[in-house]
Amino acid sequence: MSGPRVNPTRARQMAVRVGGIIAWSAFLSAAVATMLCFAFIDPHAFAAGATPSWWGPRMQVYAIGFFFFWGVGLAAAALAWFLAHGRRMGR
Amino acid sequence: MNAQLKVVSESYYAHQKVYPREVDGRFAHLRVLSVWALLGIFYLLPWLPWGGRQAVLFDLPARKFFIFGIVFWPQDFIFLTWLLVIAALLLFFVTAVWGRLWCGYACPQTVWTETFLWLEKFAEGDRSARQKLDRAPLSARKLARKSLKQFLWVSFALWTGFTFVGFFTPIRTLSAEFLAFNVGPWETFWVLFYGFATYGNAGYLREQVCKYMCPYARFQSAMFDRDTLVITYDTERGDPRGARKRGTDPRAQGKGDCIDCTLCVQVCPTGIDIRKGLQIECIACAACIDVCDDVMDKMGSPRGLIRYTTQQALEHKPSRLLRPRSLIYGALLTTLVVGFCAAVYMRNPVALDVIRDRNALYQVRDDGHVDNVYTIRILNKSEHAQRFALNAHGASALTLLPRMAEYSVPSGEVYSIPVRVRRATYEPLGAETITFELGSLDDANVHVTTRARFLAPTR
Repeated sequence: MSGPRVNPTRARQMAVRVGGIIAWSAFLSAAVATMLCFAFIDPHAFAAGATPSWWGPRMQVYAIGFFFFWGVGLAAAALAWFLAHGRRMGR
Repeated sequence: MNAQLKVVSESYYAHQKVYPREVDGRFAHLRVLSVWALLGIFYLLPWLPWGGRQAVLFDLPARKFFIFGIVFWPQDFIFLTWLLVIAALLLFFVTAVWGRLWCGYACPQTVWTETFLWLEKFAEGDRSARQKLDRAPLSARKLARKSLKQFLWVSFALWTGFTFVGFFTPIRTLSAEFLAFNVGPWETFWVLFYGFATYGNAGYLREQVCKYMCPYARFQSAMFDRDTLVITYDTERGDPRGARKRGTDPRAQGKGDCIDCTLCVQVCPTGIDIRKGLQIECIACAACIDVCDDVMDKMGSPRGLIRYTTQQALEHKPSRLLRPRSLIYGALLTTLVVGFCAAVYMRNPVALDVIRDRNALYQVRDDGHVDNVYTIRILNKSEHAQRFALNAHGASALTLLPRMAEYSVPSGEVYSIPVRVRRATYEPLGAETITFELGSLDDANVHVTTRARFLAPTR
């Protein structure tokens, strides 16, 4: 079977949709990862000297942790998509 | 093209806006009821007080979850996991027996989309008025209608975001901060984040969330079998389709009951034609049942051309409620729920953490005694204040300092105290494992032990 024929409008819609899928799956995994991580780790349990400069109140560390996991998930999902389909985009 | 490839390639089709037509009927009433009940719970629950605090509060800053009379600590994380497993299994069970009930009536996506549709209808009118408005060139009237809709949507979304954050940080404090324009940066951020997600999902993405984003929609078919309740068009009864006069017998004209009015397609929030058979996009909202029943009433034909039924029943075979799938899901679910309730009920209302002092392994005193220093954390998870007594014992004779101390810990609080364990003589024992024992002076049944290492030099 040959790959889907691509016209510019369709390609743009496809890119948006693939981007959405990548962002959304990364978001879901980040939500789970954040919950698991901070269920076991209390940001305040670290000694003051052992924390990086951006460390702050718990809510801040939770939020930064969430975006960190989201970033990692984005990278993983994007890479997975690229390895699976990336060649077709170059055609 | 096999089914999976079809799904993948269809997800790249250009999206066309769906204008679902309003529908009235039994199932529509049920959904309205469900929307009011669920949104009512969501918006009012954070305001409910319970013994001087918020009844349901997932206090992330303080790392404590309050659910009515019960306080969950990070140590109780297993209960949360357990609860999530129960929720997932309940969804599997309901799906196996009654199909996508969750999607049609209870999913937040459905519930908020329904509300946003009401607001849209209020601002822009019914289906045809909305279509006409969207086609019309920009005018003062169009601008006014669209602005009103946006205002309603944005306000409702912000209120939703505010309520959502109110589940995680006390909502009364939050509202006072809001009125004083003094909200913390992260609270503001999450209100906007969740508000925006609501606005985007319920206002614009709508059925696309179900079609392209929802993992459950993709795997729910794995839980379906021939006895699962689904919404189906009765092809045998309906086909061949065609218009006819009211009250005439379709059979005499060589036709089925379906008059091909396409109302079932117009009311569908995901824009499918149910007459093409069970489709992955169908969220089982039953709007097509309501509208078709109405048409059948007018035509003088019996209701139920589109109805809740099973594959078996359509083939004139008996449907079974009791079958291996429902029995296994049901048994697992019952076991987990009973286990969960028992575990929560029997949960130890006090926890004891012992943390060794990191600065010194041990101290050898002039009189030959060996001291170890620990930080003791007492968690009182019960609903009332308690007084505790602490003891330490091991293979050798140990003294706990301060002696005979009594620790009074309020409900839901952690009490941290440094203690010193002294081994009376400089014995050639070396290190040993010792046991800390904490007992309540108010309730003889409440006690807990924790082990720790006692370090000492070996001669």
